[in-house]
Amino acid sequence: MDEKLLIAGINHRTAPVAVRERLAYGDGEIVATLGRLKDRSPALAEAALISTCNRVEIVGVAKDPARAIDEVVSFLAADREVDAALFAGALYRFEGRDAVHHLFRVGASLDSMVVGEPQILGQLKLSYGYAAEAGTAGLVLHRAFHRAFSVAKRVRKATLIGRGSVSVSSAAVRLAGQIFDALSDKTVMLMGAGQMAELTARQLHAIGAETLLVTSRTFDHAVALARTLGGTAVPFENHRPYLKIADIVIGSLSAARPVLEPNDFEAILRERRYRPIFLIDLGVPRNFDEQLNAMENVYLYDIDDLGAVVAESVGERAREADKAEAIVAEALASFMRWMDGLDLVPAIKDIRVSIEQLRDSELERHRAWLAGLEPAERQRIEALTRTLVNKLLHRVLAGLRSTGAGSPDPAYTAEIARRLLCGELSPEIPALAGTTADLGFELDFESDDEEEP
Amino acid sequence: MDTIWLPPALVCYALSAAGFVAGRTANRPRWTEQAVPLLGAAVLFHTLDLVIGALKAGNIPVTNFAQSLSFLAWLTAIVSFILISRMRMQVLGAFVAPGVLAAVGAAMLLMRRGRLVIPESLRSAWLPVHVTLAFLGDALFVVAAGVSLAYLVFESRLKAKRPMTPVGQTMPSLEKLDRINYRLLEWGFVMLSLAIVSGALWAEATWGHFWSWEPQESWSLITWLLYAGLLESRIAAGWRGRRAAALTLAVFTVLLGSFLSVSLLFPGKHGGSFG
Repeated sequence: MDEKLLIAGINHRTAPVAVRERLAYGDGEIVATLGRLKDRSPALAEAALISTCNRVEIVGVAKDPARAIDEVVSFLAADREVDAALFAGALYRFEGRDAVHHLFRVGASLDSMVVGEPQILGQLKLSYGYAAEAGTAGLVLHRAFHRAFSVAKRVRKATLIGRGSVSVSSAAVRLAGQIFDALSDKTVMLMGAGQMAELTARQLHAIGAETLLVTSRTFDHAVALARTLGGTAVPFENHRPYLKIADIVIGSLSAARPVLEPNDFEAILRERRYRPIFLIDLGVPRNFDEQLNAMENVYLYDIDDLGAVVAESVGERAREADKAEAIVAEALASFMRWMDGLDLVPAIKDIRVSIEQLRDSELERHRAWLAGLEPAERQRIEALTRTLVNKLLHRVLAGLRSTGAGSPDPAYTAEIARRLLCGELSPEIPALAGTTADLGFELDFESDDEEEP
Repeated sequence: MDTIWLPPALVCYALSAAGFVAGRTANRPRWTEQAVPLLGAAVLFHTLDLVIGALKAGNIPVTNFAQSLSFLAWLTAIVSFILISRMRMQVLGAFVAPGVLAAVGAAMLLMRRGRLVIPESLRSAWLPVHVTLAFLGDALFVVAAGVSLAYLVFESRLKAKRPMTPVGQTMPSLEKLDRINYRLLEWGFVMLSLAIVSGALWAEATWGHFWSWEPQESWSLITWLLYAGLLESRIAAGWRGRRAAALTLAVFTVLLGSFLSVSLLFPGKHGGSFG
């Protein structure tokens, strides 16, 4: 009775990568790990393991969550062969409502390093799949994960949390998409072999840019980079003519003076017949003269311009995150109602059985008289008693569900209802004994003239 | 002679225009999404109105300025609707739908009561052909102007390093806007050319001369030359992007001026006040 969801784990905010990597599991290990965890942790009824580059978390279900979490922690330390002290400070523990809340926030990408990034949902689905495969996911985990998925979908649909660019390179790629329609017929030219420039080129390639030129002051660097990126190296002395065909130029040269300036760029533009050109200046000091931006069909963004685009997206996401939190809160409330209802299930079963038995024994008692009736009349009496029982049950259960789920301890309320209706009530329940005393009369437990069969 | 179908069309145009504009300015993609079917509904109501008008007029319903305006607005709405739904050019809605709304609203206010009939002398198989070609050409130019306006707005934001924020909006790239502008101009030019040719042939058949230098004819020739120059500048000189968009708007201003002045000030046989 009274199972609770629990989460124990570390993430990018609580632990540095040096700690996270010690606890992380590869996809292939998870099913076997869950099997071992089940053997070592008797308190855990259900378990799933989420392991990404930003988090390692065990999601579990237990009647005694505190004990289960202790078992999980010692399991992790032993299984990964690390000292528990290494991650004790970074470990967070959530129980019940807090655990559900955390799971929903993780799924909705509100707990991600880059809020709104879309990968986490897929990772969560994988984790759930592994738990199902290992046989460690039960009723509560099934429901909790499925809820987390649907919350994530709702957040994605109802907010703009996943939009915008949150890194310099993705901002540059996004801008390229606002200038050019398809990149497949565009030429990207890398001037210099900076890391961010390389990353941007890779992303442009990933969304369709096919032709890549690389030039660098050291030709060998250009050749090496061109090889890894699948492009063509161009000697720096000869790069000029290639500006005629380049549509996106990424600069990351170390140069004291700009390598492109308005007075010589005009001729290049004329030769290009003023086809738009996107200049991405990642160099510090800058590679492209800022006056170039004023020229026709030239779009120049330097590192600060791109930074500003990123800052705007981050702000946008933060605003959208508030909306997402509201969606999560709503789903959390509905999930907790379901969990509370789960607590009522055994009590509801008992009450149903007890009342059904009451009906059976009454019918049994009048069996002789019933036997003397016409079959039609007998059936009618049976139907009448059945309806009476059902209506009574319905009223009791509906009342229990609505008041029980809202009460601070639904299990306790359910237990009282069970004892009341199953004839097991005794003054041992202190709160109830007090209540009857306050009412000024005593319940006569012996007054029932029927006996339980 | 507006019909009962024009008011619902106007309401749908108004809601759709509001949706497109508010969807952009308030950054609510959902409003934009809902504006698209509203535009479709407006076009349907408007079609009913025109069909009934045509039955009453005995031919294509362009008997006066108000009807012409309504017909032009209808064609513009259809061209925009096709571009919006087939080419994901939702952004066009914000730039064209308000214009269509204004035109239909003005048409409704100016619409004269009574039974407007095309004069016997003009009832001919040439009429719908000539008029539809001319108005379709105009509608394509209207939409081209809308696309150009969108281009200029987005381009200036991109230059100003304030890229079109609208996170979550479907944003056509500048390249796509430029390409669509070009296609619209091409087709508009073809329609205008055919309208002029069909008009000349019709005039020859009716009055015995191809050309009479009446105001509409002269202005058509002027706009034809301007649009020819516009297309030529792109093909020969490679003028594209901002320059092409600005020129498209400039030439469109001339077209708009000629449409209004010919209809209202110098009604020759095109002027259209038959009622």
